[in-house]
Amino acid sequence: MQPVVLLISLVLMAALSAAFWLAARAAHGPAPGPGANGKRTGLIWAMTILGVLVSAGSLRQWPHALAAPGDALEVNVSGGQWWWDIDTTEIPAGTPVLFNVTTEDVTHGMGIYDSNLTLLTQVQAIPGYTTRITYTFEEPGSYRILCMEFCGVAHHDMVNEFEVVAGEE
Amino acid sequence: MSTASENFTSGYAAAEPQTGAVKLTMILSGAVFALMMVLGLAMRAAQSQWIGLDPDLFYQILTAHGAGMVGTAALSGAAIMWYFCGRYLVLGAAIFWAFLGLFLLGVALILGAIFIGGYGGAWTFLFPLPALSGGAWEASAAAAFMLGYTVIGVGFLLYYLELGRRIHARYGSLARALGWNLILGREDNDPPPPAIVAAAAVTIFNSIGIILGAAVLAASLVHLLVPGFEVDALLAKNLIYFFGHVFINASIYMAVTAVYEILPEYTGRPWTSNRVFAIAWNAVLIFVMAVYWHHLLQDVAMPPWMLVVGQLVSYFSGIPLIAVTAFSTFLYVRGSKMTWDLASALLVLSVAGWSVGSIPASIDGMISVNKVMHNTMWVPGHFHTYLLLGEVAMAFGFMAWLVRGRTIARMGGLDRAAFATYLAGAAGFVTVFLFSGAASIPRRWAVHYEEWLAHDRIGTLFSLLVVLGTLIIVLRFAARLRRSQG
Ligand SMILES: [Cu+2]
Repeated sequence: MQPVVLLISLVLMAALSAAFWLAARAAHGPAPGPGANGKRTGLIWAMTILGVLVSAGSLRQWPHALAAPGDALEVNVSGGQWWWDIDTTEIPAGTPVLFNVTTEDVTHGMGIYDSNLTLLTQVQAIPGYTTRITYTFEEPGSYRILCMEFCGVAHHDMVNEFEVVAGEE
Repeated sequence: MSTASENFTSGYAAAEPQTGAVKLTMILSGAVFALMMVLGLAMRAAQSQWIGLDPDLFYQILTAHGAGMVGTAALSGAAIMWYFCGRYLVLGAAIFWAFLGLFLLGVALILGAIFIGGYGGAWTFLFPLPALSGGAWEASAAAAFMLGYTVIGVGFLLYYLELGRRIHARYGSLARALGWNLILGREDNDPPPPAIVAAAAVTIFNSIGIILGAAVLAASLVHLLVPGFEVDALLAKNLIYFFGHVFINASIYMAVTAVYEILPEYTGRPWTSNRVFAIAWNAVLIFVMAVYWHHLLQDVAMPPWMLVVGQLVSYFSGIPLIAVTAFSTFLYVRGSKMTWDLASALLVLSVAGWSVGSIPASIDGMISVNKVMHNTMWVPGHFHTYLLLGEVAMAFGFMAWLVRGRTIARMGGLDRAAFATYLAGAAGFVTVFLFSGAASIPRRWAVHYEEWLAHDRIGTLFSLLVVLGTLIIVLRFAARLRRSQG
């Protein structure tokens, strides 16, 4: 997902930068004609319609998928300054996993990384709450949990690992 | 063209009584911006493993950099808006001096808390982190830090109280100053100019933001003294992000008055309030307060409808920005025959940078994207875009304009070099952040893995350029300030 997000962002950012650059270059050209205000109205409508479409598309299915299917494996993760504790160290591939995330002290962020150090999903660990996310691991291998929310002087040391093993067919 | 500009300027000269105080504030802001950028450079160099920084010190620098940049952005924005509101309102000079004094007292408390007390809980002071340092700092250091924030907040409230009072006296009501007559199509023979519309909106939303910020600061301070006094961590986070988001946005919405007031001098076309402009600012007033929910998309304990609103508003707040402010800037610039000097170039750049930075921000505000982008380098990537190329560029443009010559002249060699260095450095610097975010590199990590070093090193080189460009701009401002006063 990340490369697509980066590409879309860079293309849009470059297009908007180019529009400004062209306007600056046209400072000594002709002034905008009488149709300029109509163009502004068009732009407002275009942005509104695009926003409605993208919002509807991206929210139609709730992105956090909190209601885990009945066969989900529950894994409890708790964090503290400065450690992660995972109660299941071997997770089967292909099975939906429901993570129950808690913290013993301050706010932390649980980010799950694959062996290529790509972030797969994350959720905050908030004092006094159990936060839940579901994720299905497709590939066996070793995965890491990194802390994503600044939590004090050993924030970067807050790392733990678990294994995903080939699931029973 | 230059004669017209002179007339335009001199027409206001009599109504700018607090120029000295504003110039002093801008030189302080410029110096602190430069210093905070050096701290940023140090953090990037430490992540690159080019210099050694203890993690303790790294996180203290992180805290100082965040608090310092947000505070200075707000300070410079406030000075700019005060200056231009002074063209339409009689503002009490004593209030500005009290505001500046309280600000500096707050800064002293914050710097003491960090570099003497060792406080390194980040500028966001997420409850209960200030009280749970793991032995790194004492409760007194955290308390000094939060007292510093409180003192600065009191200064800002004084500032907004004075502005609101004077706007009310001059325009009859805040609603009229917000352009409601224009929106409702009623006749108004004294419509509020853009700077006043902006001032009315910011006065309302930032006062609310600061008061809620004060509430969570007070609760956190009590918790430091009486650890048994607990606050709900999620409620505290809501209050902190409401305050923090509104406050940093206010800095840009205050500084943009420089664009409204200065660009017309270069183009000869006055920037007037119309119906679309007034609607846009009223939308901003609502959006700026509702959009902070997009900071909490990872807090699944929040009611889902709030997260949905966070996503929607984070996109739709781009419409007043891009379709109104940015589009108007195109129209003002095209065919304007304007002279490009450092001031006009930086001000046009600032609107572009602000708009461009809103793109990765609203993409991160989508819940499905946020799951893999949140709290990676993507986030500093987007806010550095609209701060470095937006608010800071506005402040630098205003500074260059304050000390411009009697006639508007084309950019000289040094100005060109400063502008190009700053632009190249900042654009490269934020692009590296975005690439790092896409590469899943987490933010606020003192120590980086080998896999991430290439990103850090390229980022460090670009930040060196930013520091260099900034130094030329700020030193040039100081030199011209002395010449113009000597
Ligand atoms: Cu942590």
